[in-house]
Amino acid sequence: MTSATPGAAPLVHIQNFRMDFGEKTVIEDLSFDVLRGETFGFLGSNGSGKTTTIRALLGIYRPTAGTLHIDGRVFSDTFGSRLGYLPEERGLYKKESVLDVMVYFGRLKGLGKAAARTFALDYLERVNLGDKASVRLDKLSGGQQQKVQLGVTIMNDPELLILDEPTKGFDPVNRRLLMDIIEERKLAGATVVMVTHQMEEVERLCDRIVLLKNGRAEAYGTIDEVQNLYGGRTVRLKYSGALPASDKFTVSVRETNYAELGLADGVDEAEVLRALVEAGVAVRGFTAAKRSLEDIFIEVYGDENAPAGQEQH
Amino acid sequence: MARHNLGTVVSFEFLRTVKKRRFWIATLAIPVLLAVIFGLVFLSSSSTSSSADAQKNEKLDFSYADASGVIDPAIATAMGGSTAADPADPAAAVDAVKNGTLAAFFDFPADPAKDPVRVYGVDNGIFKNGAYDAVARQLMVLSAQKAIGSPQLSALVQGEFSTTSQTFKNGVESGGIGSVVPPLFFLVIFYAVIILLANQMLASTLEEKENRVTEMILTTLNPTTLVVGKVLSLFMVGLVQMVVFSAPIVVGYLFFRDRLNMPDFDLSHLNLQFWPMLVGALLLLGGFILFTGVLVAIGAVMPTVKEANTVFGPVIAMIFVPFYAVALVVSDPQALIVQIFTYFPMSAPVTAMLRNAFGSLGPVEAGIVIVELFVLGFIALRVAVHLFRYGSIEYSRKLSLKEAFGRAPARGRKM
Repeated sequence: MTSATPGAAPLVHIQNFRMDFGEKTVIEDLSFDVLRGETFGFLGSNGSGKTTTIRALLGIYRPTAGTLHIDGRVFSDTFGSRLGYLPEERGLYKKESVLDVMVYFGRLKGLGKAAARTFALDYLERVNLGDKASVRLDKLSGGQQQKVQLGVTIMNDPELLILDEPTKGFDPVNRRLLMDIIEERKLAGATVVMVTHQMEEVERLCDRIVLLKNGRAEAYGTIDEVQNLYGGRTVRLKYSGALPASDKFTVSVRETNYAELGLADGVDEAEVLRALVEAGVAVRGFTAAKRSLEDIFIEVYGDENAPAGQEQH
Repeated sequence: MARHNLGTVVSFEFLRTVKKRRFWIATLAIPVLLAVIFGLVFLSSSSTSSSADAQKNEKLDFSYADASGVIDPAIATAMGGSTAADPADPAAAVDAVKNGTLAAFFDFPADPAKDPVRVYGVDNGIFKNGAYDAVARQLMVLSAQKAIGSPQLSALVQGEFSTTSQTFKNGVESGGIGSVVPPLFFLVIFYAVIILLANQMLASTLEEKENRVTEMILTTLNPTTLVVGKVLSLFMVGLVQMVVFSAPIVVGYLFFRDRLNMPDFDLSHLNLQFWPMLVGALLLLGGFILFTGVLVAIGAVMPTVKEANTVFGPVIAMIFVPFYAVALVVSDPQALIVQIFTYFPMSAPVTAMLRNAFGSLGPVEAGIVIVELFVLGFIALRVAVHLFRYGSIEYSRKLSLKEAFGRAPARGRKM
């Protein structure tokens, strides 16, 4: 799955990063690398410091201590033409026309006026906004504005794409569009950093991940490595009926007619299946697998009662 | 890249302002208003002028009594006048006017220079009634001119002659009022630029914050480039506005000056002296940089235009404060309050420009104020850029200066 360039220097290098805001320490000591060409998941609960780390990496915040490099150097606007950044706080010049804003950012990212205009018009056609080019941004719906912002993010064919909560506020159509674009950028050799809570997307797209907790890297590596780190096996169950209480498994995910079961120590999948059948559960699907990232995420962050919404900084 | 981006920012910011209908409505409102006023003045002036010409030459049946002996009977007769039946009894003539048997009666006193000429006439409406006064006056002028017997003397008596004057200071010709006016143009430009553009400067840097576009901008271009680009574009917008505002005045002056009763500016009297003009230009530029930096900084700290206006008002008021002491600025430049205004940064541009125009700003003082304005201006711009960089990310709250400068490079480890 990984398309990272082996042996090459990492594109993003963070070492012993610390970030204080007054008396409050948001990041204590964080280190990780993002390899060239890989898709990297940056995970953590609300308020854990993900956005702070990205802002420090991009020079918006000054770190209290540590090294944050992109392509071997501290970020400066000269790298801006190689960067595509979709911030968590979304916004564009709302009083201007879609085309003017896209051309403006294209020009700032180093494109010629004609190239920026061509890209913008092609992109708008692709996302069914071809007739909105001359419309003011504040006349578009929220979803349409998201599409425009996404277009601005990728219009310079960025070498490094940093997406902070990329699916936040996206409807399923826009989410699909975003995923297609990430896939395209991956195929084109771009390095992608995703800051997200969407574990399903992380499992599907990311080569490696880091889990941030209490200002440190709780887990870091490929998805397999992280799953192995937390050990355990899980059963993905499609069923009808009522799940029984049992000492053979715990229910980590429970949805209508779907559940993920964590197996107790020394218990194998056959014993669990037997217990379910004996309890009268109609089993329609039964898949043994490693623990899902979502399951691990819940285990790691389950003890936190983090408020939902934006990070403090 | 930085220069390319600066051009891109200037172009974007300038075009998006001048492309807006609202901008042109606001900008054209003043010249259109001026044009309407000028038009009314033009029509009124034409009407009044032709009416006055017609009235003073109008032949009017009147009688008069002349106690001064100045009135020439031949001229009076030519203008339709006749001596009153009983010059010693003006009341009878007035009664005749009252009952309508006499159109008008002029009673010239023994000393017209001291006492008024009494004019009585039958009411012909507010506009035509002016004819009585015009004819009486014209009769007196023509009679006096005839008595003098010399058109040249008549003109001189009426003050119709010009003078040229030269004054000297330390053996060198001094400029007089003609040298005061040109440097004052810089003061006018300063006021125009600040008043026209200050709000836009404030709103312009707040816009990134209010639109949540700061992070996209800060990772794409240098904030200094953005701020400088915005300032340059605003200056260009200001130039456009000044051209539009002044266009009707220039057109009116060049082509309709007489009709609009505009004063005849004899530009040859203006004395452009090199040093006062240079000092004026530098004070203007330094003052512009200082105020721009301060306004951008306010925009970076405050979360909304509404909150920024609470700080913005007092800053702008500072450019008007020196006018409370303008008499002292002109007459006693060494007064303590004038000295304070001269060196206090926010009042320095106006005070120094006034003193420069009136010749009371010495070279050392001028040098100190210019250096002060440029140094503080660039510091203000640097601080403004810093605050923009670290303040505009605080989308919904006022930036704490302690926090902003706490995030300065000195505190974080240099990477």
